[in-house]
Amino acid sequence: MALELVVITKIVPDGSEVFIDPVNLTLNRSLATNVINPADENALELALQVKARYGGRITVLSMTPPFAIPYLEECVGRGADRAILLSDKAVAGSDTYPTSLAIAAAIKHIGKVDIVFAGEKTSDSSTGHVGPGVAEFLDAELASYVSSVEYDDGYVIATREFEEGTEVVRIPTPAVVTVLTNSNNPRKASLRRKIDAIRQGVIVWDLKEVGLPPDAVGLRNSPTIVKRMIPFPRRDRKGEKITTDNIAKLVDVFEQNKLIKGGE
Amino acid sequence: MAELVKATPPEDVSQWKDVMVYCETFQNKLTKAAQEMIGRGRVMADKTKTKLIGVVIGSDISDTAKEAGYYGCDRVIAFQSSAFDMYKSRPFTDNLTAAVKEAKPNILIVPGTHNGRDLAARTAIRVQSGLTADCMEIDVEEDTGILIARRPDYGDSTMSEIRCEKHRPQMATSRPGTFEVPPRDDKRKFKVDLREVKVKKGQIKEEILSFKPRSGEDISIAKVVVAGGLGMGKPEGLKLLEELANELGGVVGVSRPIADLGWISRSHQVGQTGITVRPNLYIAAGISGKPQHMVGMANSKLIVSINTDPDAEMNKNADYVIVDDLYNVIPALIEEIRKRKGAENVEVAPKKKKKA
Repeated sequence: MALELVVITKIVPDGSEVFIDPVNLTLNRSLATNVINPADENALELALQVKARYGGRITVLSMTPPFAIPYLEECVGRGADRAILLSDKAVAGSDTYPTSLAIAAAIKHIGKVDIVFAGEKTSDSSTGHVGPGVAEFLDAELASYVSSVEYDDGYVIATREFEEGTEVVRIPTPAVVTVLTNSNNPRKASLRRKIDAIRQGVIVWDLKEVGLPPDAVGLRNSPTIVKRMIPFPRRDRKGEKITTDNIAKLVDVFEQNKLIKGGE
Repeated sequence: MAELVKATPPEDVSQWKDVMVYCETFQNKLTKAAQEMIGRGRVMADKTKTKLIGVVIGSDISDTAKEAGYYGCDRVIAFQSSAFDMYKSRPFTDNLTAAVKEAKPNILIVPGTHNGRDLAARTAIRVQSGLTADCMEIDVEEDTGILIARRPDYGDSTMSEIRCEKHRPQMATSRPGTFEVPPRDDKRKFKVDLREVKVKKGQIKEEILSFKPRSGEDISIAKVVVAGGLGMGKPEGLKLLEELANELGGVVGVSRPIADLGWISRSHQVGQTGITVRPNLYIAAGISGKPQHMVGMANSKLIVSINTDPDAEMNKNADYVIVDDLYNVIPALIEEIRKRKGAENVEVAPKKKKKA
């Protein structure tokens, strides 16, 4: 039976296009355009590689406002079979709990799914909670921080990276795999495929379609709230000027702080 | 497994009192990240006059559980099974969830390592509570027991203060290197509750087929980091940085653009999308100092900025600033350090003669 693959993605502000506000010396991201979350591009690429080797169907799923549609068409242009946009005003302000819940509900609505691919984290909020959260709601096995996967008769064999090293883990499907940023080189959509994708269009679902009541999600049903914003803490450092000619002074400081272990 | 339902808070949050810390292990030893979090948990337990409960999961952990006590836990719940020789997402979630349901902690903090984040994210769903990731500051309000979790905002010079007022436990992760390792005291009094977990055959579906230890240095625990940015101009700059790092017994770090250019592997990238470091000395050579970089090194003890631009943001956050080309500064610095090392040898010799 063909593999049913799902890639979950978020459309985020382009991190390379933030501007420094000359008055407040803060970074302004309101001028930034949007991109497919970088790690999700790697997740899609990995799904495309799995499909190429083992066959199957790829659905790209995103819970974003409708501005995401061109980006989802881009995903189909790269080789995904279809895209679903889960869009509902009720989800506004959701933290990672209701976000994981709504995405899991949409995946359940798709039906039997073998492997769900997600980026290890989004570049804007950077929590990495949604992939594991979806696994929990789906009662699926999870391999997080993955650089590559193989599929073997009902099992996912994933290479995971963590602080102490790299492991290869085998888990049965259904499985959620969160994919490391930069772990592969995402392909670009060909123009022809992109045109086909635009003709094909994006499927739009709301919460009712996936069987979730509006009072399960949104700001009011999020366990966490942003209480306030505070300036970034800066330790008071004196910024003492030293010249290259007088570099000995800096080395004195290194010695005082026992940073030079000489004569050993 | 979690049902597809919204998070429901407990009726009486006053029953949730203590501070719990997940004491991550690797090969049955506490990780440095775990020690740091125990230290942070200790501070919060003292402030709220409650207990610090450590949770240890592993395959041979009777000594490790004591270590968690020496670093600051009042009580250690240890789940032991030969199946827990390596981190496994679902069984570890099962056990941490069991500890939460039993001990009802007000706060649960987890090291923000890859495995810790995997575990914390699943556990938060399982216990229907709120989790704040990558906190730069974790504190507690003494009178209310409310967790104050602060994390950097993407692309802004601000931090968000995130709270989870209704749900319990209030959860947070912090990256390794965010907090200091507390002193180890083997005279501390604590209680260890070691439990043998019976794992039925076929119950654990995750199977680790192989493991390869990380090759190369781990910059997150380095005492000295010599970091380069776009000011290097060419990949050869890294060689110079490495030479200086070798003299200081340190490692090379880079800003994100350098890793993006592929001049060095991502395991050297410092910052929000890279690694957080907390060395005794951080030398920023040709790094402008964007907030995304600063969050990854702001807690360094001593910061030196080398930059041709006198107005570079990094200079405002450095203890010492050298406004010059790093290709002039670093060779001079290396030469001076070598001279001192040589000089020490010279100095030591006459002293010995005097004694003799």
